[in-house]
Amino acid sequence: MNGPPELDPVIHAQARLRVTATLATLHHGDRITFPRLQDILQMTAGNLSVHLRKLEEAGYVEIVKTHHGRTPTTLVGLTRRGRFAFEEYTLAVRALLDPAQTEEKP
Amino acid sequence: MTGNFSHESTDEPDPTDARDELPPADPAAALRLIADQQAEAARRLSPNLLWYYWPWGLAWLIGFGLFFLRFGPDGRVFVDLPTWLPLLVLLAMLVAAGIISGIVGGRTYGQVTGDSQRRGLWYGLSWGLGFSGISAVLGRVAEHLPEDIAGLLWAGVAVGLTGALHMAGGAVWLDRNLFRLGVWISVINIAGLIAGPGWHALVISVLGGGGMLAAGVLFLIRDRRRGQAVTAGLPGTASGSARSAR
Repeated sequence: MNGPPELDPVIHAQARLRVTATLATLHHGDRITFPRLQDILQMTAGNLSVHLRKLEEAGYVEIVKTHHGRTPTTLVGLTRRGRFAFEEYTLAVRALLDPAQTEEKP
Repeated sequence: MTGNFSHESTDEPDPTDARDELPPADPAAALRLIADQQAEAARRLSPNLLWYYWPWGLAWLIGFGLFFLRFGPDGRVFVDLPTWLPLLVLLAMLVAAGIISGIVGGRTYGQVTGDSQRRGLWYGLSWGLGFSGISAVLGRVAEHLPEDIAGLLWAGVAVGLTGALHMAGGAVWLDRNLFRLGVWISVINIAGLIAGPGWHALVISVLGGGGMLAAGVLFLIRDRRRGQAVTAGLPGTASGSARSAR
């Protein structure tokens, strides 16, 4: 890796970073309901929707609409790509913070 | 706004807070944001283990404790309670503990679907069916036995299954502490059974019930510490280790 690593612009915004970080705590193959995610993030529904759409457009988030009994439910989860992007982002930020650790040995 | 970086005018005004689109102030702030948010999410998405272990621990401590006091070793009666009281208290407290566990589990895991949900559901079914199975067998057999042996059989088999299921839970979630608790329950059960009627109730009450109370506190402290470690070890290297370890 040479030069400062590029930061993913989709994740590199406070609100979406919080959304992505939260979704990354779920296990692989798990999804969370929209209201619960909203509750954890303390964001308005409209606000969260906008950010989720952007993450979905980037292919980072999968939004599934389903029915739980009779009530429609929206489930949100990170895609494989999204998880990878988040890990790359975290690594890049760490590298910025402490370049010696990542680029020590030539 | 010095539009030095490509400040492409975004297509439409969003109903979002303007700060939302701002990147974190600096790399340290970004990492702190991630750590805080993940700690918060983990806290909200995992049960308070005290609420999980204490109802069961108290049920064993008090329920089996009353059994020991009323039906002591060699037919001794330490406290002259009505004969039906220990069983009634034990069953009532176990049912209450089951309901509390159900509520706590539903609250924390209820709105996450997927593999974790399936795991939890199947594990819960194992408990339900397992206990139905042993109740069916013991119900038929125990009536033909002397009362003290019948009591020992019921308690020994039920506690044994509890130990085995805790160990299995440890295997399912690769949770060392849960597995250890299962081993502990299994071992004291065997020790109590060897000691015989009366003593078994004392062992399960003090070491089993007390053990669960202690486990609840230990697990809680462990979780708190882990939460702090995620935030404290911030500029460290092991990326995402906190998450993958869970």
